[in-house]
Amino acid sequence: MKIFVTGYGVISALGNNVAENFAALKSEKSGIKQGEKSFTQRYKVGEIAFSNEELVDHFQLTQHASRTALLGMIAAKEAFQGHELNDTIRTGLISGTSVGGMDTTEVEYKKFILGEAENREMYRHHPSGTTSEQIAAELGVSDYINTISTACSSAANALMLGARMLQKGHLDRVIVGGTDALSSFTIAGFRSLMIFDEEWCRPFDESRKGLNLGEGAGYLVLETEETIQKTGKQPLAVLSGWCNASDAYHQTASSPDAIGACLSMKGALEIAGLEPSAIGYINAHGTATPNNDLSESHGIKTIFGEQHPPFSSTKAYTGHTLAASGGIEAVFAILALQNKAVYPNLNFSNKIEETGLTPVTQFQSKEGIQHVLSNSFGFGGNNSTIILSAI
Amino acid sequence: MYILQAIASISHQEVFQKELFWSNLHALEAETNIQHPDYKAFIPANALRRLSPILRMGIACAKSCQEAISEPFDSISVGTGLGCLIDTEKFLVTINTTSGDILSPTAFIQSTHNTISGQISLDLKNHAYNMTHTQNTLSFEVALLDGMLCVDEGKKHVLVGAADETVPFLKRLQPDIVSDEYPLTSGATFMVIGSENKSDAVGIVACELSFKQRDLTTWVDAFLAKHQMTAAQIGLVLHYDALELNDFQNKLSYAPLVGYNMSAPAFAAHLAVDWLKDSANQGAVLLINNMDSNKQALTLFQKA
Repeated sequence: MKIFVTGYGVISALGNNVAENFAALKSEKSGIKQGEKSFTQRYKVGEIAFSNEELVDHFQLTQHASRTALLGMIAAKEAFQGHELNDTIRTGLISGTSVGGMDTTEVEYKKFILGEAENREMYRHHPSGTTSEQIAAELGVSDYINTISTACSSAANALMLGARMLQKGHLDRVIVGGTDALSSFTIAGFRSLMIFDEEWCRPFDESRKGLNLGEGAGYLVLETEETIQKTGKQPLAVLSGWCNASDAYHQTASSPDAIGACLSMKGALEIAGLEPSAIGYINAHGTATPNNDLSESHGIKTIFGEQHPPFSSTKAYTGHTLAASGGIEAVFAILALQNKAVYPNLNFSNKIEETGLTPVTQFQSKEGIQHVLSNSFGFGGNNSTIILSAI
Repeated sequence: MYILQAIASISHQEVFQKELFWSNLHALEAETNIQHPDYKAFIPANALRRLSPILRMGIACAKSCQEAISEPFDSISVGTGLGCLIDTEKFLVTINTTSGDILSPTAFIQSTHNTISGQISLDLKNHAYNMTHTQNTLSFEVALLDGMLCVDEGKKHVLVGAADETVPFLKRLQPDIVSDEYPLTSGATFMVIGSENKSDAVGIVACELSFKQRDLTTWVDAFLAKHQMTAAQIGLVLHYDALELNDFQNKLSYAPLVGYNMSAPAFAAHLAVDWLKDSANQGAVLLINNMDSNKQALTLFQKA
């Protein structure tokens, strides 16, 4: 059974919607710059300029919530625009997030520690599950709501669960993706891991030192063939492959031989019924940490051999948006199929000596591109791959 | 039907690796302790030191389940309502009280919701599908439904579980944000499901969710009818909050037995399974998760 994508939405440091994101990708313009918030100003981050109040006003949201939930509402609303709720079409929302409402919690908790008066009501926004309930409420969706929290592979896993539920007939239509706001909690967390690059991140470059964080959200609407006949929606792409596997190597580091990554890429190709040679572009996880990019390069070589398809990481455009990245990059994958183009891996100059892989370095057209493979790898050795295919 | 191959819980009741424990259950007092097993049997001592209760409980339950079956898990699906609260709070304190640039990353790494499922895969060297779900009081059921989907897809030994831990901070949020009706507790329940039947087995027939307020009587009737059952065939109804369902003789609130944590329904699932294992009990068990009237779940258990 084919799983069709009939809607997409994205907000990131590149722009507020799909069109703005694609324009930035095309113009090779990164959204990463020196942070402007008290907790981001020391770093280069992919920050969204609006304050929370501005987000609510500008995007006409009906709820005040955590920034994670607000960003999710914006991208999910764009994805679901033009779709109608209907009693005969069971519609769900599966959303990935790593920190949920931590951006609100950390503000109140700090007051608590300092002995200042907190607004305890704000803690209601904390649970990750609540962010999804708020996003679902914004869309009016209530047949099924679930939140995946597998760190940086969350959104990819949400896509996968949505596709599986449609295949088994548990839902007729599902909005899937992920959202994460920048928070002082995650900034401090990645600082404690010492995997920040103070400069612009350089995925797959020999000189890479670490990542730049980002924030955003990305969602797709998935429908079955049967549902499309009812909704009359024009599909944008097919979600043709998916797989999640566990690296079982280390809580935060990837295995040198990329066991989990190879399993997830291989599994997704099997579900899609594709040979590796059918893949026209790989949107790599490519966080620009020394460990991830080396391990992922080994994985790509193992699965694709020396004749690997064009590949790049778009993290140097958006920053690493954690649980949202798989959703945002799924939108980028569909844009690649629609526009027959592949994206440059910004800031690349020298191959990683050990693996010798050269990513795409310029925005370029790619005639005949039929299938895009997208990787998302998370803490806990949680490795996911999805494949999006042209109609 | 989804057949239970193993089940293990750690809670404030003495149930870990025990069967037919109903006669030993008691209503929890305000300050009760978790009945921790000797974790050294499951976790190496050097690793144990840095693990919070939610991780210890989750890993020990998962490993206990693994020991009870012959093959490695071919899928792992874990639910948690609030995740690793102790490490989350620890890291929040650290970032607000530490000056200078050097922060210990341990609490941050272990604050992520999927630390539980990740540690299980790591400890068991398990490369299978590994998922973490979090949906407030329905976290167990969304993880269970994913596990059932894995069985439908042909997986044979699917680990499904839920775990939550409490922190003193939650008391400050009572009663408006966190319920104060029952003691705040911690707990973990893990089980293995598959499709292969065996003698004396207990199975899960179905699980259904609702994300809006709805009339339970009508919903329960429709749910039972869908599975060719009547109220008379239900030997026990387990529910959290009070409910009015007049057609059922034997109803019990599990809330006084497990207390308040978002994974409490997972413990109730263990209560259902253990009740069915007692040959003196007749009929099926309907588990009603009505911890939150805005989102509820029905799960049906019976002897296979």
